[in-house]
Amino acid sequence: MAIIRTFDLTKKFGEFTAVDHLNLSIEEGEIFGLLGPNGAGKTTTLLMLTTVIKPTEGTAYVGEYDITKEPDKARRLVGMAFQEPKLMWVMTPWDVLNWHAKVCGLSSSERKQRVKWALTELGLWEDRHKSVHTFSGGMRKRVEVAKILIQRPKIAIVDEPTTQIDIVGKHRIWNMIRALRDEGSTIILATNELYEADILSDRVAIMHRGKLLVCDSPKKLKDSIVGGDLIELVLEKEAAENTVEELKKIEKVVDVLAIKPNHLRIYLNHAEEVLPQITELFMKARLPIRSIRMSEPSLDDVFAHYTGLTIEEAEKQ
Amino acid sequence: MKLGGIAHLLEYDLRNFFRYKWWIAGMISMNLADLIVMAVVYTNMISPTVAGKYLSYFLFFSPGITITALFAAAFMIGREINREFRRSLSHYLLSLPFSRRELAFGRVLSGGVRGMVYMAPLLATTTFVTWFFTEKLPSPLEMLLVVFALFLVSIGTSGLSITIALSTKSFEKFVTARGVIYYVLFFCSSVFYPLDFIRQLGRDGTLPQPLVFIAEINPLSSGADITRSFLLGYPSFSPLMLLNVALFAAIFVLTATFAYLKIVQE
Repeated sequence: MAIIRTFDLTKKFGEFTAVDHLNLSIEEGEIFGLLGPNGAGKTTTLLMLTTVIKPTEGTAYVGEYDITKEPDKARRLVGMAFQEPKLMWVMTPWDVLNWHAKVCGLSSSERKQRVKWALTELGLWEDRHKSVHTFSGGMRKRVEVAKILIQRPKIAIVDEPTTQIDIVGKHRIWNMIRALRDEGSTIILATNELYEADILSDRVAIMHRGKLLVCDSPKKLKDSIVGGDLIELVLEKEAAENTVEELKKIEKVVDVLAIKPNHLRIYLNHAEEVLPQITELFMKARLPIRSIRMSEPSLDDVFAHYTGLTIEEAEKQ
Repeated sequence: MKLGGIAHLLEYDLRNFFRYKWWIAGMISMNLADLIVMAVVYTNMISPTVAGKYLSYFLFFSPGITITALFAAAFMIGREINREFRRSLSHYLLSLPFSRRELAFGRVLSGGVRGMVYMAPLLATTTFVTWFFTEKLPSPLEMLLVVFALFLVSIGTSGLSITIALSTKSFEKFVTARGVIYYVLFFCSSVFYPLDFIRQLGRDGTLPQPLVFIAEINPLSSGADITRSFLLGYPSFSPLMLLNVALFAAIFVLTATFAYLKIVQE
């Protein structure tokens, strides 16, 4: 069941269209990745869904509430960890989180327990009474993410949750996001880190210049690139021409390139399903295989496929 | 509007206010210097024919200091809201489960309460000093009226400050506007000199009439004079003074609420 639906959701700032007639449906209980380079319109979309800014055109339903007609009710279902930590610099993490939890309606005992848990899990317990202005960017970001982990809203929106955070911290936050989903929250994850979206998201929407390019599961998006999978084979001896021709006839094989006489590069779809057929072919042809390397396209490739640009090029534009 | 939401906002702003320890220390030093140095020196400088009705300039000036302190403390909320606005920290507050009206009114009220909290020890000191020299104390009802009038000045100041804070994202412009307002409202008022005397200077042609008019409608004049009425017995209380501060509060509470609703939420 869809918990968020957008209908031609549009936001203009003067002449600039930040989000352009966006139509999306987000299912309850999924981790939904919103991908795109900086300036793609991800954050603007999220700010509209949290009712922080008003759409110029179109609308969205958060749960059963229209964000333009019942924003107060819609807002009660949503919690957001912002891209830039939103903290008063004179405050301490303990006060920031305790007040946030209080506003979100947690009881006194529940509040203390969750704040302590989040601060401990995110490695901030020792520094809980220090002003956030003494914190590094990564520490501030962790305080921001902790808000959502404490709140446990029905719809949790996390905007670039792991920027400026070290690799151990990233894994910890990813696990906590998964746990939040398992406890019943729907997660919207906005990121320009394609690897993060790939490993966390059940479905991914790619945005570029305010528009939705494509939306599906990471697997289906990768499979949508014809010949996107790759198998590299190194043989003990030269491959005969007729063997290469037979290889090309296998369904889902798109192209075969002989880099060296005994080194073949095969472009195909669904490599994991076709690999047994390929090995069988070489066994029958009495051509022993020395090594096999298999790779599938990344979401970077998917982005490049749909925009004709790498994410870095898109950001420069 | 829910009281719970407003109470959370009051807690947020009051906690933040007391975190600015150095600002508070600076304000207390300034107010003490006003009372102990400036008021004492001026008492000996100023002709008794001018300050006589108030017994001494010292007793005249101490309610003035109270109201300037109230004004400065209540005005401070604007500085924070301007910073929130510039750094998009306002997005966080807008994403929380408050209704927009709760959020806007809660912030205006917070500024007013901060002014009252900072001013309370000064009002107590002024009341004590006046009692010490005159052996007169206002009745509880009169004191309640003084506190109510000062609260109206405080919440109006908070609204004025928020309105200015939201009309620009530039901190420099905000600080300049704040300076202009401070100087106009402090010096064209009865904070430092009696309104009768300002009017006299106006009639003599020594002071331009527009400045006399500003001093007459200035809510700081009304706030200071209501306090003097019940603490010193002069000038006599007029309901117009209360009406003036009530109008000031109503206008700027509404403007600030409107500005918050229309400007902060893009």
